[in-house]
Amino acid sequence: MVATSHDVMPDIELYQPTDEANALALANTLGSDGWLLAGGQDTFGWLKDRNKAPGAMIELTQIDAWKGIRETADGVEIGAVTTLTEIANNPIIRERYGVLAQAAGVVASPQIRNVGTLGGNLNQDARCWYYRRGLDCYRAGGNICYADSPEGLNREHAIFGASRCVAVSPSDTAPTLVALDATMVIASQNGTRTMSAQDFFIGPDRDIRSMTALDDGEILTAVRLPAAWANAEFYFEKVADRNVWDFALTSVAAVMKVSGGTIEDARIACGAVECVPRRLEAVENAIRGQQRSDELGARAGELAVEGARPLNYNNFKVPLMANLVARAVRG
Amino acid sequence: MNPKVTRRRFIKGVVASGAAATTTGMWYAANGQDRPGGAVERLIRINVNGQMRSVDVAPQETLASTLRYKLGLTGTKLGCNRGECGACTVVVDDVATYACSVLTHSMKNARIETVEGLESPNGDLHPVQQAFVEELSPQCGYCTPGQVMAAVALLRENPNPTREEARHAMSGNICRCGSYDSYLDGVMRAVQLG
Amino acid sequence: MAYMHIGKDFVPPDVPGKVTGRIKYAEDYTREGMVYSRLLTSPIPHARVLDIDASEALAMDGVFGILTADDVYPDGEPQSTGLKILTNEPTLVGEPILALAAIDEKTAETAISRINVTFERLPFVLDPLDSLAEGGANAYPGDQNTFVFRQGFATEKWTEDQVASFRAGNEPTAEAQQTWSLGDLEAGFAASEFVYETTFTTAGYPHHSMEPRSAMAYWEDGKLYLHGTSQSLTALADGMAPIIGVPKEDIVFINAATGGGFGQRARANSIPSMAIPAKLSQKINRPVMMRITREEEFTIGGARQGFQGWIKAGFKPDGVMSACDLYIISDNGGKGGGGDASSAADCIDVLYQPDALRFRGTSIGSNTAHRGAQRGPGQNQIAPIIAPILDKAADALGISRLEIRKINAPRNGDVAGPRQTPFTSAYVPESLDMATRQFDWEGRQARRRQRNGSKVIGLGLGQGYHNAGRSGMDGIVTMGTDGRLKIHNGVGNLGTYSYASTSRAAAEVLKMPWENCDILNVRTDNHLPITSPQDGSNSIFTNTRTMFGAATDMLNKMKEIAATDLGGDPADYDVSNERVHQIADESIGYTYAEVAQRATELGGKFTGEADLPEELAEWTQISVSRLAGSAFMGVYHDPRHEGNPPGFTVTCCEIELDLETGKYEILDMVTIAESGTIVHPQGMENQLVGGAVWGIGLSGYERHLYDPQNGLPASTGYWQSKVPTYLDTPVKIGTGWVDLPDPENPVGARGIGEPSMGAVSAALTAAITDALDGHHFATAPITADMIINHLAGTEENAAPLAQNNFRG
Repeated sequence: MVATSHDVMPDIELYQPTDEANALALANTLGSDGWLLAGGQDTFGWLKDRNKAPGAMIELTQIDAWKGIRETADGVEIGAVTTLTEIANNPIIRERYGVLAQAAGVVASPQIRNVGTLGGNLNQDARCWYYRRGLDCYRAGGNICYADSPEGLNREHAIFGASRCVAVSPSDTAPTLVALDATMVIASQNGTRTMSAQDFFIGPDRDIRSMTALDDGEILTAVRLPAAWANAEFYFEKVADRNVWDFALTSVAAVMKVSGGTIEDARIACGAVECVPRRLEAVENAIRGQQRSDELGARAGELAVEGARPLNYNNFKVPLMANLVARAVRG
Repeated sequence: MNPKVTRRRFIKGVVASGAAATTTGMWYAANGQDRPGGAVERLIRINVNGQMRSVDVAPQETLASTLRYKLGLTGTKLGCNRGECGACTVVVDDVATYACSVLTHSMKNARIETVEGLESPNGDLHPVQQAFVEELSPQCGYCTPGQVMAAVALLRENPNPTREEARHAMSGNICRCGSYDSYLDGVMRAVQLG
Repeated sequence: MAYMHIGKDFVPPDVPGKVTGRIKYAEDYTREGMVYSRLLTSPIPHARVLDIDASEALAMDGVFGILTADDVYPDGEPQSTGLKILTNEPTLVGEPILALAAIDEKTAETAISRINVTFERLPFVLDPLDSLAEGGANAYPGDQNTFVFRQGFATEKWTEDQVASFRAGNEPTAEAQQTWSLGDLEAGFAASEFVYETTFTTAGYPHHSMEPRSAMAYWEDGKLYLHGTSQSLTALADGMAPIIGVPKEDIVFINAATGGGFGQRARANSIPSMAIPAKLSQKINRPVMMRITREEEFTIGGARQGFQGWIKAGFKPDGVMSACDLYIISDNGGKGGGGDASSAADCIDVLYQPDALRFRGTSIGSNTAHRGAQRGPGQNQIAPIIAPILDKAADALGISRLEIRKINAPRNGDVAGPRQTPFTSAYVPESLDMATRQFDWEGRQARRRQRNGSKVIGLGLGQGYHNAGRSGMDGIVTMGTDGRLKIHNGVGNLGTYSYASTSRAAAEVLKMPWENCDILNVRTDNHLPITSPQDGSNSIFTNTRTMFGAATDMLNKMKEIAATDLGGDPADYDVSNERVHQIADESIGYTYAEVAQRATELGGKFTGEADLPEELAEWTQISVSRLAGSAFMGVYHDPRHEGNPPGFTVTCCEIELDLETGKYEILDMVTIAESGTIVHPQGMENQLVGGAVWGIGLSGYERHLYDPQNGLPASTGYWQSKVPTYLDTPVKIGTGWVDLPDPENPVGARGIGEPSMGAVSAALTAAITDALDGHHFATAPITADMIINHLAGTEENAAPLAQNNFRG
């Protein structure tokens, strides 16, 4: 049985590399014993509770190469340890990729956005309270899910894609990156690889202990936003209980090319309904070439929630998700 | 790998220079001996309220702990120690920051301002403090230092906010007494006191 | 009446310390040689401690000792309601089992992890109705599930059918533990044109004061110095001394400021954890700091009682509430106690003056956070339930929603409650008029239920009430030969500034410039009089009476000294400009400095050495005896007042609710107080806006979740408890006050803290209901998911009337 709150961190070593090579070497050497520390806003609670016990932290925020917002030949590259506040306020992001600026601007609270980074927001761990409390659930290496049980408290949990674990993707920015078809830049001592945002987030069926495709020794260093979706028609909405600090009950990010009211192309993703941002390809296909209207929105909403499997306390997410998708589509 | 900083000896003893230095410094167990070199040293200097302070800081120590327990700056409050309340808000390089949720070691090159550092040398209150007094913004007062610091950071970035802008900028600070209205009255008055 | 101080803003002396961070809360203190304690708390919702093996922990370097329930209760734990200091019979997760002291927190925490506690697990229950059903588990030791006043712990059971029928929405059929009634209920319903009946539920939720209830203690020369946190100062110390087992003259309670008190820090028995560092310090002979974490604050900080209720209300064709029948099961959490349900019925009787009313109530335990007074206990839970019912009656009877409230409103001369107590004064129709005028309630009716895309406007009107005044306490003022007035004030500093505003009554009597007054509070060795605990919105009423009385005693003594020395009769004298002088010839008199000098020379009753009021409380006697002979003294024991001094509030609000997301924005809100003469306008405004935020939390957000599988609390911090933020509350809340004097208070004042919340919760819930075309959830809070489900026709698999869980 877990004890209640500790609120005192044990001894943990800290490394503060100032260049990429050093950071990657540390990540490689320390492996799973090295906790990648960006803004730390999702770190210290784990450590104070002593529910995660890494031997060392590798701070990534002193590496200038991984900070800032740069224009590239094919769009914009955002360093992974750029703060959410900087992203929310950056003129380029606001002008061309407003959907991300909007999402970054509603993460948690101002102070958390001031320190919290894009990479941290994307890599944050599941918010399922059973898991956070240090219970021996699947995600923590055990063989039970407390949330997906006859009595489990699962109002905030998944309505899609459950596989032993029913925690949802908690990130506000992740659905926008999936919608924007962003590319994730991942570095390790073996070099750099890239993958789509959609592939970056992984469900419990692939790895129940991790919410991203990062391997030990790998670091997310940047996110690239393609020029193809710059200045598109955007819609972002996050519905949460409270308007500060809360994680989404459901969110929607839509990126559309609209001409004369006709949707020429679209990418839509929802947050907090699945362990990964849920890309709505069926909806995208259904609305492509269609005129935006209330009817189209309603149809898109219905299509979006097809196959949803709500739990005891999250039936509401089905109409909520349908409504949000409808709002995004109808214009 | 060529660490820029070499690990020196394990620093023992109390090197805190604050009035509230405690005996805790002696009780850290050495650890991480089998890990790579380059880990942080314990003795660091940080800039707090315009003064360079030498402090013995554990690697995992939060800024709030250092301020409160090493430097005696107890104006910074711990309401939740989780980044969920804002009572520990300080200003780091002009940016409102939860002191409970950053490491002191991350602050080595930063300018840290706490509520204790706002008054002018002649003892005059900062306009935000003065305005909060005049509007009776605080109730129980426990969140007040955090509210003050959030307002100070806001007015540096935006000296003339609307009430709506102020409300958003202050929104990372819980007031359980529910004095939000009075704090916003205070922020708007501080704009006038400038 | 023209006052010098009453009704005027001022800067309470602790405010600069709050904005500079200089004022100290308990955890801000340090002491040479201080060590740190951590708690081992129960990981199990209901258990018995069979064995504690701390040998490994105690052998660690830097560990100084532990304190267990066996140390603090050598004769066994008291069989009473409320938290124990430490316990071997935990009835909730997080209940303190033992405390350990070490050189630092990290060592203490690591040592605690090496203590092996063997528990015997006992069945636990989280929902009172589950416990009430035959065969259901019982929350309290000895397989009991309720506490009967004056009788003790007992077991209360219904048949499974009775529980199921109640859950299905029917009137409970079992006999209630407590019943009181007024008037002829049957006749009342017979006379009704409109009758509304529903089951309802309201959530309990934590206090979550910003300052966790940390405490530090040390012993010196046989005296205990306790740095703690409390709403009350002398009342707390007075009650804490016997809990710790120290004579009242040997405890010094130091509490310059308290980071929030909303009921559960008023009395010593609701915050017994402060005894832990005191006892541990005594045992290991070192100063002990006990920092309390946010999660510990949740588990030992207490919560509001949740209600599972049934209400039936009848209204005559003219809108008069002719009958109200109320049956409430109150969730009394893990430690029993509390009387919210009866207060809810009393509140209905006060605010709506029904011809007949019946209250039936049964309180049942659950293995969840302990329950006790929280801002408007009972009155405020019922506020969001009753307001939409008034609106339904108004709509059904074709009466305006304002009119039905005015028809039923209490007025001067009315009585209410089980004892039919008369109000000391009551101006509710005036309050309704003032609020609706300031809000333009009538003008806004055109917007009622207006649609704008997916959004719809809702308007709500609500009322709040709490009894707001006590009496029978003591007052002390002294004056040194410098002529400054020292106001010895035992009122706690919980953020209402009532310690300062009640002191103004003393300054008023002596026409003393405020800058020449010193308030002595902060620590009990400042020789303070006893006060009633700072709960129940009583302080302004109670302590303006004592301060006024003590200053009046000093005034009379001044006149007596002047008359004796300078000729004439005391009645020939008055005071002005810090002089006592003849009325006829102001040049004949003494300055305050001079009269204080004379009083000191004369001694006896003038310096508290003789002729003291006989009824002074023991605590006050100790303070007076320590002051005696040192300074000119006014001392007073306040006689009991007559009647019920009420605090009333009225709130209007307009919301815009999004039918697609279940979210709403409060577009505008006006809240009005009727609490006698306003002593401190800024303080009043703070109470009104603060209460509004609490009302918004009650109606919309706050929750108290426990996992049915293992009894773990799921909403321990601010994030999961959903305490309202800046962006969940209006940009600006309009306030105002009726400001008519109450005859039972020397400055006309009554309290307001608790009702300031109820009216807002009532108005907001009425507005949500209004926006949803009158759909009555009959619950608090109403969360976005509930609104979405209602509109989409979906529902959750929640147990009806669930407590400590989601309600679908």
